[in-house]
Amino acid sequence: MDLALQLLFTGIGIGAVYALVALGFVLIFRATNVVNFAQGEFSMVAAYLMVVGIEAGLPYWAAFIAALLGMALLGAIFNLGVYYPLRHRTYLPVIIATIGASILLANSVLAIYGPQPQVLEGWFETPGIQVGPVYLDSQYLLIIGVTICLVIFNFWFFEKTLLGKKLQATSQDKEMASLLGISVSTMIMITFIYSAVLGGLAGILVAPVLFVSIQMGSTIALKAFAATIIGGFGDVAGAIIGGLALGVIETFGAAYISVPYKDGFAFLVLVAFLIFRPQGIFGERVAEKA
Amino acid sequence: MSLTRRDFAAGIAAGVAAPYLINSAYAQGATLKIGMCAPVTGPAAESGGYAIKGAKLALEAVNKAGGILGKQGELVIEDDQTTNPGIVLAFSKLAAQSDIVGFLGSIRSTQVHAISPDVMKLGKPVMIGGTDPNLTHMGNQWLFRFRPNDSYSGRVIAEYGVSTLGKKKWAVLHSTDAFGTAGGKALTSALEKLGAPPVLDQGYANQSQDFTPVVLAIKQSGADILGSYFTFENDLGIFARQLRQLGVNIPWVGSPSIVNITALKLAGPALYNTYGVADYAEDSSEGSKAFGKLYRDAVKVAPDNQSSWTYDAVTVLAAAINKAGSTDPGKIREAILAIKKFPGAEGEYNFDQNGDGLHGYNIVKNEKGNIVFDKHIEFND
Repeated sequence: MDLALQLLFTGIGIGAVYALVALGFVLIFRATNVVNFAQGEFSMVAAYLMVVGIEAGLPYWAAFIAALLGMALLGAIFNLGVYYPLRHRTYLPVIIATIGASILLANSVLAIYGPQPQVLEGWFETPGIQVGPVYLDSQYLLIIGVTICLVIFNFWFFEKTLLGKKLQATSQDKEMASLLGISVSTMIMITFIYSAVLGGLAGILVAPVLFVSIQMGSTIALKAFAATIIGGFGDVAGAIIGGLALGVIETFGAAYISVPYKDGFAFLVLVAFLIFRPQGIFGERVAEKA
Repeated sequence: MSLTRRDFAAGIAAGVAAPYLINSAYAQGATLKIGMCAPVTGPAAESGGYAIKGAKLALEAVNKAGGILGKQGELVIEDDQTTNPGIVLAFSKLAAQSDIVGFLGSIRSTQVHAISPDVMKLGKPVMIGGTDPNLTHMGNQWLFRFRPNDSYSGRVIAEYGVSTLGKKKWAVLHSTDAFGTAGGKALTSALEKLGAPPVLDQGYANQSQDFTPVVLAIKQSGADILGSYFTFENDLGIFARQLRQLGVNIPWVGSPSIVNITALKLAGPALYNTYGVADYAEDSSEGSKAFGKLYRDAVKVAPDNQSSWTYDAVTVLAAAINKAGSTDPGKIREAILAIKKFPGAEGEYNFDQNGDGLHGYNIVKNEKGNIVFDKHIEFND
C-alpha cells in the first residue's frame, strides 16, 4: 500500500506536467485546428530563460515573471511568424511550419546557450516532506497545486468572462465569431500567447526535477501529445485527465510490470485509444458541432 | 597567331579552375587528416565538446613535436547528433574523404555497433571509447579501444564492493542499450563468481523522466549496495536525487559516468560518498597528471574520461602512423597492436590482439564533489 501511494503521488506529479503542456496543445488546436509541434520547445525555452534570469542576478520570482513575459512575447512572435502567414492554407503546411519552428527553437537555444545541461533550483529550499510512508517532493507538490489552480482558472476564464467566451466562440466557428464582431486574429493571438505561457510554466516547474536541457521539451511534448489524444483532442478537461492518467499508468506500469518498457505503456494506451476510442475520453467538440 | 573561340574557352576554364586545383592539391598534401565523429548536438553535446577539446589538445602537441610523417595533423569533425543514425551519417561523410587516414569513433558502445559494418567495409583504423567488451571481440579488426572494457569494470566494481566494502546483497542497475546491458551482464557475472549474485538486476530505458519505480524496487529488494551502469548523465542526475530523497543511502559503486563532470554538476550532493570505477583519474599516474594540468590550463575545467580517451587516441594514432612510416591502413593497424608500455592520460597502453589498449580500472571516491583516487586494479588475463 505504501508503495502504491508513493507511486500514485509521483504519477500524478509527472502527469500534471504532461497535462500543462497538453493544455497548450488543446488551446491552439481549438483556435486554429492545427497541432503545434513546437509546444514542447516552449517549455524548454522558458526553462532556459529562467536560468538566464537567475544568472543575471534576478531574484527567483522576478526571473519567473521575466521568463513568462518572455514566453508571452515568443507566443506572439510565433503566431505572427509561423501561423499567421499560413492561416488560409490547409492544416498540413501549418503543422510542418510548427515542426520547423520547433527545430529552429531547439537549435537557436543550442547556438546561444551551448549544449550544457543546467541545474535550476526549485522554488522551495526544502526538497520535500515525509508524510507517513510517502515522500512528497516539494516540486511535484507545486506542480500539482499549479495544475489544480489552472483547471479552476481555465473554467472561470472560459465560462465566466467575456474574453473567454469570445475565445470559445472563435474556436468553435471563426466565421460566425467574425460576424458577431469578434476579432478572430486577436483571439488567435491571445490563444498563442496563453499557450506559450502555459508551456513555459510547465517547463519552469519541471526543470528542477528533469534539469534544463535542449531535449527536455521534446521529451515532455511527446507524452503530452499522447495525453491530448487520450483525453480527446480539443477538450480542456480531457487534456488534464489524459495527462494525469498517462503519468499514473506509466509509473504503475514501470513499478509492477517492467521499468524498461515504461514509455511503452504510455504509447500502448495511446494505440488502444486510437483503435477503440479515437475521439478520446471526452470526444471532440467538432463532432458535437456536426 | 589568332586566338580561336575554342582556345579562348579553354583558357578561361583553366584560369577559373587553376586556383581551386592548386588549393586542393596543396590542401591534400599539406596536412594529414584524422576524422572524428563527435556529439556536437543531442543529449551528449556537452561531453562531446570535452571530447573534441581533448583530441585538439593532443593534435596540437603532436604538431608541435613535428607532426605526422612530417605533416601537420588536421582534425575533421562531423556531428554524430548522439544518435545511431547520426553517427552512421557522420562516419559515411568522413569515410567518403579518401585522404582521411584514421578516425575517432564514439565513446558510446551502441554508436560503435552502429558504424561497425561500415568500418569493416572501409578497412581503416577507428579509435573507440565504447566499453562493451563485444566491440573488440566480434571480428572487426579495425576497432581499437582507448578505454578499459566493461569486463574489467564489472570485475573491479564487484571486487571492490565485496572485498573492500564487505557488501554481498547487490542491486545492479543498468541502461538497456548496448553499453548498459553489457556492463550489467559483466557485473552480474563477476558477482556470481565472487559468490554474491545480485538480489536485483534492473534495467531502465535511456532518457527516463522518473526513477521512482526503480528506487522503490531497490528499496524493496533489501540490497545493501548498488552497482550501476548509466549511459546519460541526465538520467544519472535524476536517479541520484530521487534515490536520496526516497531515503536510500546504501553504498553505490558506479561505472565511469558517475564521476564525469556533467554528472557531478547535475546530481551535486546526491553523489557525495559514492564510488566509481574511472578509466581516468588525475592522480593515478604521471601521464594522467600531465594531461590534467594541460587540460585545466587550456579548458579551465577539470578533465574527465570524455577528453582523456580522445587525447590518447590521437596521440597513439599519430605515434603509430609515424612508427609505421606509412598511411597504409594495414601497417597502421600492425603499429597500433605493437604498442606496449605507452604512457597515456588514461594509463599505460599495452594493446592486445583484439585491439584493447587498457586492462584495468581506477577506483575513485566522490568526497564532497572532489574525485579522490583510491587505487588502480590491473588485470593480466
